[in-house]
Amino acid sequence: MKKKFTGRVWKFGDCIDSGNIKGVMEGIDPEFHAKVRPGDVIVAGINFGMGSSAEEAPRSLRDAGIAAILAESISNIYLRTLINLGLPAIECAGISAIVAEGDELEVDLESGGVRNLTNGNARAFAPFSDHAIAILEKGGLIPYLKSSFAKDR
Amino acid sequence: MGMTITEKICARSAGKDRVRPGDMIDAEIDKLYIKDLRFSKAEDPKGLYGLFKEILKDMGIHKAWDPDKVIINLDEQPARSTRRLEGQESAKQFSREHGATLYQGYDGGIGHNVMVEKGHVKPGEFIVGADSHSCTYGALGCFATGIGFTETAGVLATGRIWLQVPPAVYVELAGKRPAWIWGKDIVLRIMADFGANGAVNKTIEYGGSAVADISIESRLSMCNMAVESLALNAVFPPDERAIAYVRQVSDAPFTPVESDPDAEYESRLRFDLSDMEPFVAAPINQAFIGTCSNSRIEDLRVAANILKGKTVHPGVRMIVTPASYGAYFQAREEGLLQIFEKSKALLTASECGICTRPSLATGEVCISSGNRNFSGRMGHREAQIFLGSPATVAASAVAGEIVDPREFLPS
Repeated sequence: MKKKFTGRVWKFGDCIDSGNIKGVMEGIDPEFHAKVRPGDVIVAGINFGMGSSAEEAPRSLRDAGIAAILAESISNIYLRTLINLGLPAIECAGISAIVAEGDELEVDLESGGVRNLTNGNARAFAPFSDHAIAILEKGGLIPYLKSSFAKDR
Repeated sequence: MGMTITEKICARSAGKDRVRPGDMIDAEIDKLYIKDLRFSKAEDPKGLYGLFKEILKDMGIHKAWDPDKVIINLDEQPARSTRRLEGQESAKQFSREHGATLYQGYDGGIGHNVMVEKGHVKPGEFIVGADSHSCTYGALGCFATGIGFTETAGVLATGRIWLQVPPAVYVELAGKRPAWIWGKDIVLRIMADFGANGAVNKTIEYGGSAVADISIESRLSMCNMAVESLALNAVFPPDERAIAYVRQVSDAPFTPVESDPDAEYESRLRFDLSDMEPFVAAPINQAFIGTCSNSRIEDLRVAANILKGKTVHPGVRMIVTPASYGAYFQAREEGLLQIFEKSKALLTASECGICTRPSLATGEVCISSGNRNFSGRMGHREAQIFLGSPATVAASAVAGEIVDPREFLPS
């Protein structure tokens, strides 16, 4: 995983629950799975991923190659699960206001910054903890556990 | 500066003297709840047990973290798909091979209620559950939150999770609770005040003079709804009522913790229960009393009290799904099940039931004692789900439309 990357934006609204995210946002846009490309970025409003802890939903986004999810707020289980799957989930206040669908975003996880390369606007977010970065770098919690235990022994 | 209940439990679990909101901790877990669905191959082609075995192999060890702390429940009985059944068999195999406690048959019901009734939830504990409504347990003064499939596999292997200590919102409950107000009415009123993004990733801590008069069942319902406000957890103080309840269901020792008088809260809200009214509004097709939110014995008593001597409106399908077989048998002993049968409410086995299975056609309206009214949750996306207390659901079932239950309560 890169700590700094760029990606094309797909924009969604508020309060999208995990049941509707399942199948690569199938509940919102049944054709989305065909439009999205690896490396694309999802930008959403408040309460992204609210509801069920079922992991089909976040896994479908990871399997589609989404590079990052930025939202005004993200449900805790969802945020943790995405990171545990190796996919950066970022709470970033004001993000929706500075992006339109199709814009190009540059995300820097270590410094906690996002820049819209299409219109020049920028926003800051709380930088990722060393622990979260370590999990992301290994590609998720399971590979992280495997390698850290192997090292301990 | 003092600490809240949640901060104290987080600090103890992380081996620290104190923690502050925002601190990243590595916490040791006291209890892990897993529902059978996680063992199915729905989320991962290997299933939970398969993934767990793979991690152990890669770590070069054979034994997991403490199996005495793992509790599994079959939330769907009988299984209605091959995949679910395979998951349940895998859960049983895990339990046999690793020693975890597994509830099924008449010992079971909906897992969250089984966890509480069988004495697995105690004040001061740090509990995680592989289901979003694991926040329910906070009613008994513990820290409890839901985790995902991948993290569950991690906990099985290590007994630990990483967590950012949440900031807390203090909700003071004051005044005298009217007889027709239950936990569900109170929590729906509070959630309306929180607004759409109210408590995201925070702790909701309840307190105040009215708490003593709120039943354990109502507290469980209120904490169950915490995740619907996107809170990380909710917690009630471990008062005499909570401790008496826990002593009744468990002989094991525990150490309750209380918030310090000078604990710091991000914000404070105050609600006077004497001002509260049941949540009401529309004609309905279905009335449902069930789910881990509201179908405990208190709820069944309230509903039976309203339905006694009355019949469900001919245009309404009423379904009653007790929260556990504990609640089911208790209701049978008290004669409540006969009241449901006579009133033409359809009584089902204890399980998650239609909370997560399609039962509504396009354009239909349901009043439910459950916790989620997302579009498509109970069937067609164009169906509407309204949430209310079991009293509101039962009264509405009789009236054929959503009504204020006060007129239906025998005085």
